[in-house]
Amino acid sequence: MRLRRRVENGIQDEIRFHLEEHAAKLVAEGVSESEAYRQARVAFGGMETSRDGVRSAVGIRPLDEFFADLRYAARILRNSPGFTAIAAGSLALAIGANTTMFSVANFMLLQRLAVPRATELRMLYHQDQEHSVYHMSWGSWFSGENGLSQSDAFTYPVYQQVRRDLRAAGIELFAFKGLRTVNAAYGGSAQAVQAELVSGNLYGQMETKPLLGRGIQPQDDGAPGSGAVAVLSYGFWQSMFGGSPDVLGKVVRVDTFPVTVVGVNAPGFTGAENVQRSPELFLPMSMIGNLRATLGKEVVLQSNNLGWIQLMLRKPAGMPESVLRDRLNQSFHAAVLATVTPKKGETVPTVVLEDGSRGLAQSARFLRKPIYVLLGLVGCVLLLACANVANLMLARSSNRQREISVRLALGAGRDRIFRQLLVESLLLAAIGGAGGALLGYLGRMGAPALLNTAWDNTAVPVPFSWPVFGFTSAITLITGILFGVAPAWQSTGTDVNTALKQGARSASRRRTAWTGKGLVAFQVAMATLLVAGSALFFRTMMNLAAVHPGFEPAGLLLAELQPPDRQYAGAKSIVLHQQFLERLSAIPGVDGATLAVVPLISNSNWNSGMRVEGDTQANASEDFDPGHSSNFNMISPEFFSVMKIPVIAGRGFTPQDTSTSPYVTVVNQAFVKKFFQGQSPIGKRISDGEHEADGKRIRNWFTVVGVCADTQYSDLRTAPSPIYFTDMFQARDFTPNAQGATYILRSQRSPAELVIAMRNAALAIDPDLPLVNIRTQVQQIADVSRQERMFAALTAGFGLLALALACVGIYGVMAYTVSQRTHEIGIRLALGAERARVRGMVLREATWVAGIGVVVGLAAAIALARVVKSLLYNLNPHVLRNLHHRRACDPVQHGVRQRRREQLAILHQEQVFS
Amino acid sequence: MSDAADLVQGTLELLILKAVSLGPLHGYGILQRIEQLSRERLLIQQGSLYPALYRLEASGALLTEWSTSENNRRAKYYRLSEAGREQLAAETERWSRVARIMSAILRVTEAPAAAGQA
Repeated sequence: MRLRRRVENGIQDEIRFHLEEHAAKLVAEGVSESEAYRQARVAFGGMETSRDGVRSAVGIRPLDEFFADLRYAARILRNSPGFTAIAAGSLALAIGANTTMFSVANFMLLQRLAVPRATELRMLYHQDQEHSVYHMSWGSWFSGENGLSQSDAFTYPVYQQVRRDLRAAGIELFAFKGLRTVNAAYGGSAQAVQAELVSGNLYGQMETKPLLGRGIQPQDDGAPGSGAVAVLSYGFWQSMFGGSPDVLGKVVRVDTFPVTVVGVNAPGFTGAENVQRSPELFLPMSMIGNLRATLGKEVVLQSNNLGWIQLMLRKPAGMPESVLRDRLNQSFHAAVLATVTPKKGETVPTVVLEDGSRGLAQSARFLRKPIYVLLGLVGCVLLLACANVANLMLARSSNRQREISVRLALGAGRDRIFRQLLVESLLLAAIGGAGGALLGYLGRMGAPALLNTAWDNTAVPVPFSWPVFGFTSAITLITGILFGVAPAWQSTGTDVNTALKQGARSASRRRTAWTGKGLVAFQVAMATLLVAGSALFFRTMMNLAAVHPGFEPAGLLLAELQPPDRQYAGAKSIVLHQQFLERLSAIPGVDGATLAVVPLISNSNWNSGMRVEGDTQANASEDFDPGHSSNFNMISPEFFSVMKIPVIAGRGFTPQDTSTSPYVTVVNQAFVKKFFQGQSPIGKRISDGEHEADGKRIRNWFTVVGVCADTQYSDLRTAPSPIYFTDMFQARDFTPNAQGATYILRSQRSPAELVIAMRNAALAIDPDLPLVNIRTQVQQIADVSRQERMFAALTAGFGLLALALACVGIYGVMAYTVSQRTHEIGIRLALGAERARVRGMVLREATWVAGIGVVVGLAAAIALARVVKSLLYNLNPHVLRNLHHRRACDPVQHGVRQRRREQLAILHQEQVFS
Repeated sequence: MSDAADLVQGTLELLILKAVSLGPLHGYGILQRIEQLSRERLLIQQGSLYPALYRLEASGALLTEWSTSENNRRAKYYRLSEAGREQLAAETERWSRVARIMSAILRVTEAPAAAGQA
């Protein structure tokens, strides 16, 4: 801008000087002063042309022209507010939807940990063959890319040995473990929070600097049970301590265990588990001895069989990935063989390294495909909006044909006009983009609702970040070019002579119509794809909603209780549950109370190896056949009556089944079908293993006393599977840790009232008891199908948007085509063509175009259905058959409009212009 | 002035370089010097002078500075840069070669033998 002003002033001065000099010369030659100046100007010639030449010589002319184009474009757009509103509005919707989806994708899949050089971080996984030496894990298992199962959980002894070994090679291994909810009490208030245990070197290796105090240091992570210190997350520091700087040195009781606050994390630091949300408390790994010392019969810090600890490292700069992996595997192999002895046929897993820049990123693994599918679909909406605007522009550019022809005739370059039209498109796109950014900004507030559990109030808003802004700007630019080029090309390709003659304005009709119809077919295809896609997900949701869970979910309230191990070890926790259940049943308005270790339809399951007495095949070896396993649940006797699960044969559990009476079990129908071949199982026995009593190993035998109806177990998708139930109050084989349970209340009272009564009941027993995750069974079921509902809601939204856009587009093009054929139609009518025939002609054309679009769209939708098969439930591609013949409504409008067109008016127009 | 001629296209820049090579000049001065050198027989569109000047300035052939003119007025003076000097030499050489070829062609009065048999 400054350059421009300087150049302009320079030229001005120079030309003035030139003229004055020349005039002076003329005066010297005897011309009168006023005449001399006039002659000087004449001799100089076109002053503006000269200036323009200078501008283009120094390269500011394009800039000048650009601003002129921009001003002109703004004027054009202002002159047709209807067109501008529709075009910019549809772009804004499409760009907004894309921005929202991208901000979710960016947040869930792309964002990196806020630590220096995050890309150097690697997560360690072990890949196991079918018969691995490891059978137990407190961590996640999933199927890796090569089909082998892969786990993030390592045993503590292996971790120790590999760490020592790698340290010698200059590689520092660090570890973390996310704990489930712990109870944090401070100053008389208790809160359920997430805690992450970290090795002493994690803060150093992550290179994160705490905002206040210090991080967890190697000396904190010493002997098991030592290091009672905690670093708070920034958010927790704000909410629990109001951001007070004298938080350091305060003592917080974590599951009743006192720890001293030594630091507060920087705001962006989220630990090693994920990028989205930070655990509230960071504790040294040694604290696991206090918080989760045992799991089942395994002591976590000593067990050679139970994998649980999660490992990371920072790849040394300059060391090739393969060298690092080999070095690691060598060390890991040795450590595994030093700690376990493989049985015959068992194999030692291998270690693989995966990108750790997003931390463990568990949810990203499962959300990747759904999010990419949604991004693809929303991208289709954008393409559709582009096609739509291109169409509108095409139709409009035909009206501007005269204007453009005049400009061409006056000597404007075709490239200049092309550029001008493109600037117009870009301006339109920019308006749409601005609107889209705004919608995206608002949309991101709604996004967490789709990603988080209804009763989890720790939802993190999706941040509106620079990458998102960049993405929006980029798609805006691309959109502008996409929909701008075709109309611009078309307009500038006009033959000046023909276009200037009004009578011959059909000169370019054929080509315009072709482009327009192509775009319409494309729009119809896109809309069909989106509507069909949304139908798929909608049907999935409906199918899932129609699944009967096998019990009566309405009126059930759930709440979880995980008693602290220290006070409620083993049998004590069972007594606690018994007391608590009594108090809950006594709450007025409660029709019944029960508990289950595994709440139904909550995506959690408990699978146990077991055998049926007398089953010779399974008894062939002393070890359990891994294929012979069943889902399992531990419940209180009232379970079947409270849940309203019919007991079909025999009986349920009764108070007479005690810890001294023989073990009994109730199985479901699927269990009977699978393990008893449908014959009555009453009186038969099953076993889940052995227990030790008086130094002897005794097999546990459970006598089947009843058969209950089938229910869904962990989700709605899986067909009812075999389950056997045992009575918690018969349990006598205890571990030192407390048994947690989910309480289930049936009541007509509102959940809000019940929650208060429940908390009071808990307070009466122990004021420190954390009652967490309170929700209704209906919410719980809804949560399990959250992803399906999210898909249905989003794709239905996209589908509607697409349909609306396509309708506008089709209307625009057909109206335009018809207007181009006004002469022809007028003549046809004058010559006696029936109106129905004319209408049929127009409709036929529209139907052809729409038909092609629908066919292409359906083909694409079938392809989509295959891609997203894993996300669908109880559907096959035939569902799509319900969707055809949907679009007949669109062209009819034009037919009707056509018929009303007055034949006289048309002929009149003909006379006026020819 | 009866033998005056229009400028051959593309030669204005060469003329400017030549004019400025004889000493720094302002825009009007360049115009006058060209007219004077051509003994007033070349007609130059005065307005077309400035785009050419700015083009040469942008390409680095001319250096400019504002200073006072002989009658004590502020004016922009142009002088030749090293690159401009080289350009002048190259253009001069090219021009005389083209001129030689052109006049050789135009002097021919009879078709050469080889051309007739083609």
